[in-house]
Amino acid sequence: MLKATLRSFLAHKGRLLLSALAVVLSVAFVAGSLIFSDTVTRTFDRLFASTSADVTVNPRKDFESSVPSGAALTLPASLARRVAGVDGVEDAHADTSVENLSVVDDRNKSVSPTSGAPTIATDWYLTDRSPVKLTSGHVPRGDGEALLDADTADSKDVGIGDTLTVHAQPGSFKVRIVGIATFTTTNPGAALLFLDTKTAQTRLLGAPDRATSISVTAASGVSDAELKSRIARQIGTKDFELKTAAEQAESAAKQLGGFLDVIKYVMLGFAGIAVLVGVFLIVNTFSMLIAQRTRELGLLRALGADRRQVRRSVLTEAVLLGLVGSTLGLAAGIGLATGLIQLMSAFGMNLTSADMVVGWATPVSSYAVGLGVTFVAAYLPARRAAVVSPMAALSDAEIAGVGRPLRVRAVVGAIVGALGGAALVGCATADTTSTSASLLGLGVVLTLVATVIAGPLLVRPVIRVLGGAFPALFGPVGLLSQRNALRNPRRTGATAAALMVGLALVGGMSVASASMTKSFDQQIDKTLGADFVVQNDNFVPFPKEVTDKVRATDGVGLVVRQRFVPVAVRFPDGKRLETTAAGYDARLDDVAHVAYARGDTAAALADGHLAMDADYAKDHGARVGSVLPVEFPDGGRTELTVAALTDQDTAEGFGTRGGIYFGIAVAERYVPGGQESALYVNASDGTSVDRLRPALERTLAPYPQLKVRDQADYKELIRNQIAVLLYLVYALLGLAIVIAVLGVVNTLALSVVERTREIGLLRAIGLSRRQLRRMIRLESVVIAVFGAVLGLGLGLVWGVCIQRVLALQGMKALEIPWGTIVLVVVGSAVVGIVAALLPALRASRMNVLAAIAHE
Amino acid sequence: MSTPAAEHAPGRAEADGTAARARALTKAYGSGETTVLALDSVDVDIARGSFTAVMGPSGSGKSTLMHCLAGLDTVSAGQVWLGDTEITGLKDRDLTRLRRDRIGFMFQSFNLIPTLNAVENITLPMDIAGQKPDQKWLDQVIDTLGLRDRLKHRPTQLSGGQQQRVACARALASRPELIFADEPTGNLDSRAGLEVLSFLRQAVDDLGQTVVMVTHDPGAAAHSDLVLFLADGRIVDEMAQPTAEAVLERMRLFSGGQTQAPSPGTPGDPDAPSLTKPTDED
Repeated sequence: MLKATLRSFLAHKGRLLLSALAVVLSVAFVAGSLIFSDTVTRTFDRLFASTSADVTVNPRKDFESSVPSGAALTLPASLARRVAGVDGVEDAHADTSVENLSVVDDRNKSVSPTSGAPTIATDWYLTDRSPVKLTSGHVPRGDGEALLDADTADSKDVGIGDTLTVHAQPGSFKVRIVGIATFTTTNPGAALLFLDTKTAQTRLLGAPDRATSISVTAASGVSDAELKSRIARQIGTKDFELKTAAEQAESAAKQLGGFLDVIKYVMLGFAGIAVLVGVFLIVNTFSMLIAQRTRELGLLRALGADRRQVRRSVLTEAVLLGLVGSTLGLAAGIGLATGLIQLMSAFGMNLTSADMVVGWATPVSSYAVGLGVTFVAAYLPARRAAVVSPMAALSDAEIAGVGRPLRVRAVVGAIVGALGGAALVGCATADTTSTSASLLGLGVVLTLVATVIAGPLLVRPVIRVLGGAFPALFGPVGLLSQRNALRNPRRTGATAAALMVGLALVGGMSVASASMTKSFDQQIDKTLGADFVVQNDNFVPFPKEVTDKVRATDGVGLVVRQRFVPVAVRFPDGKRLETTAAGYDARLDDVAHVAYARGDTAAALADGHLAMDADYAKDHGARVGSVLPVEFPDGGRTELTVAALTDQDTAEGFGTRGGIYFGIAVAERYVPGGQESALYVNASDGTSVDRLRPALERTLAPYPQLKVRDQADYKELIRNQIAVLLYLVYALLGLAIVIAVLGVVNTLALSVVERTREIGLLRAIGLSRRQLRRMIRLESVVIAVFGAVLGLGLGLVWGVCIQRVLALQGMKALEIPWGTIVLVVVGSAVVGIVAALLPALRASRMNVLAAIAHE
Repeated sequence: MSTPAAEHAPGRAEADGTAARARALTKAYGSGETTVLALDSVDVDIARGSFTAVMGPSGSGKSTLMHCLAGLDTVSAGQVWLGDTEITGLKDRDLTRLRRDRIGFMFQSFNLIPTLNAVENITLPMDIAGQKPDQKWLDQVIDTLGLRDRLKHRPTQLSGGQQQRVACARALASRPELIFADEPTGNLDSRAGLEVLSFLRQAVDDLGQTVVMVTHDPGAAAHSDLVLFLADGRIVDEMAQPTAEAVLERMRLFSGGQTQAPSPGTPGDPDAPSLTKPTDED
């Protein structure tokens, strides 16, 4: 039996090709993402392990915050001397290292990495743990001198003798590059600027006696852990956080991990789509192979093979396919990881493929995915094969399974569909976000499953309509292609399902993103009253001098500053909220339209008071007049009185839960030296907005990181941010479509083989090659458009439901992007044409006589 | 049955009365040492308005002859004409058009497109050509073949005999110059086979068509006006106004004659082909 199975596998290897390709794609993404993240993790673990001091002393951070205030946490530099006195300390150095700055060259172009990796300015203190060494020039000696890392110097075309402007938190200053430092380890992609220790403390922290951390070297014979506890005893742990080299490396790696996790999850998302769509392809392939081999299987049964043997034979074939596919996929995954590593290098992260790590989990997951997918996908067809009766060997029944009733599918599909529909209705009518979102998830999954199950039932009615005009438009060729698509609803349904999944996703996401965009547009129209907003691209704060220069710009009337401050607020119900609050200048009403449920701007911005979102306040027992204890970083504490409650659509925009804001004086008092995140600028009386804009742009020319935006630009910015999400979805869709196309190609190719005699007959009685190709193309188009219509229909329903969930978050506008939808339908027809190219060519090249004689 | 074919020739009969013609037709497979001659310099004339049967044992080249005459297969040497058109050397596109417009086909099995109903199958060649069928003629063909109440049926809903009748109607519907039937009764029981043969006969006698039928069933060949005997790629004999017995007798001579002495005295030969015994040859 095994011999027969092997023979059959080899005999059908051409027909299994595309299934194998689907497995390869899925496995490649799984393997690629694992290898890539393992490699990067290992590389950085090594980097941080080798560059971390034996013990590092950091200022204690009370809470993390998503939006930076711009102020760096510091500790006194003199602490280094106290630490140096601890027994077992060989050396203690007060480090200065900040990321809250921008570096600009003499042509006002940014020297910061374009990849979003940080620009780090630090003091030059060479130890054997330093990741860099001086390769040309000399070390910085005093104010006005700096070193730049070689990679940045190279990519930004900066050399020794060039002058750079550094916009740091205490103010801007110019430095001359006096040397180049080259990474001796992997460069994580950051731009590094080195100053001498005193300059760094003065220029970067604004105080000559502050530092950002203390690096401690242990004397020989003293363990890191032992030293850590000795230092802790000496300086206490109330204000300081101590880490051994291992702990420091781990936390540094974890910080980087967030970014790497995104890549990993995106890759796994691709793998997931590939698996999901691939399953349809493999199910179809096995169903078709079994249908074509009904007589052969019947013969095996007649010769005495029992059902289990037949089933096992089919499953063995699937496992062989899985093995081959997984092995090739693993190889492709290594290729994919290499490509990603190259891509990272292009972004300035110096990884080399030589460091590639293939952990044991990679091959295990690869084979698990590859074998799992094929086994699961082949299971149903295998069961169907097992029930082939020995009589099938004798009967002339052409294709098994065509006429089998779809009643079970109808019932199961209807039940699952009804449940899914109910969940979606529940989602649309729910009034809390969490209920709504979970019902949405449930509804999406159930309706997708229902559509996949009931797909074959929809084939007849939908394709009758879609292809209804075909006979009139394309004559007998159109009629034949429409009938061929209707011939085996299961097959057509499963083929179209692959495309449907991808397009449903896109339909839903495009409705959601169009609605979000429209909502934001409306909100910007409604809330933004300023003529211009001056802001960094990623909300990173900017130095104070910018504010002064903007104020001094000709034609500027009102400037309202916005400053973000991390806060922890205790509510009457006991809830401790760690969030980011905003501080504003008094005349906020002139630049923004804030809707208040209680109170007003003047009350909110008065000293000792705050404003917050009405709903959040209600949920946690705060009212106007409530006195809330508020903590700030660096240990500042106060009590603020709730003076106003806002009723904004998106009080929780930008991730600031609670929507808390107060006067900028409060922010300055408790987080001194914070930087502005945005300036809202109005033109002075008598100055036209059109004149102000170029003036502002001239003022900001030395600060390429800052942009001047009016309402339209602001909308564009938000739109671009939503678009990033959408691009990701489109990339996923692209992959889904590639595999779906493979599926259509697969189905058509196998159909062409199955219909060899019919094609021969058609050719004999006078169908030209061109007509034959058109016939297959039209069939393909019908299948693809069927998948698109089903997918978009489902996607629209999902999209409307997602919008209902968003509406609970304040994004109330619903927008259906009809243009995109029409484009997708047209695109799917093109997909159909492309998918039909090879099968059609193959069919038209068939030898007529051989085709007629084909068994 | 004995009416001379020429009297019933359709109006467009040409002076020479030849529907198809081949000269020195040679078809070789393979090359060099292993060359096999399927047809060895065959000359043949198919008279217009006649029913010609081509007979011969397996491998005699009878199907190849039909395929070459019908423009389904290329020839190695020689010339083939359909009416006045030389078809040797025509490109695939012209051959396709020629088959579509001027030739009708019936095969042993799998004659019909399963997704089309009977009438759609019948008019398919004309539909492909974008021509409107001659409704009067179509009605006549359908009625002659007794398919009136089967027109909306799909092939799977028809019996084997009915399917072959539909195939026959399709071959007739466009009033082709020539109908090629390749073992049209090969898959049918004797009664259905007889029916199909009598329809082909009727097509020649009453509708003035020209039919060439490949068969190895002497009983089927007996329905024709003229039997051509092929052996080893050559026409070795012909027989006008054949009867089943005479054809059977002649076949024995050839099949035996190649390898051993003829043994005419074995009427009960169980291997003798007959109409009632379907074969899967070719």
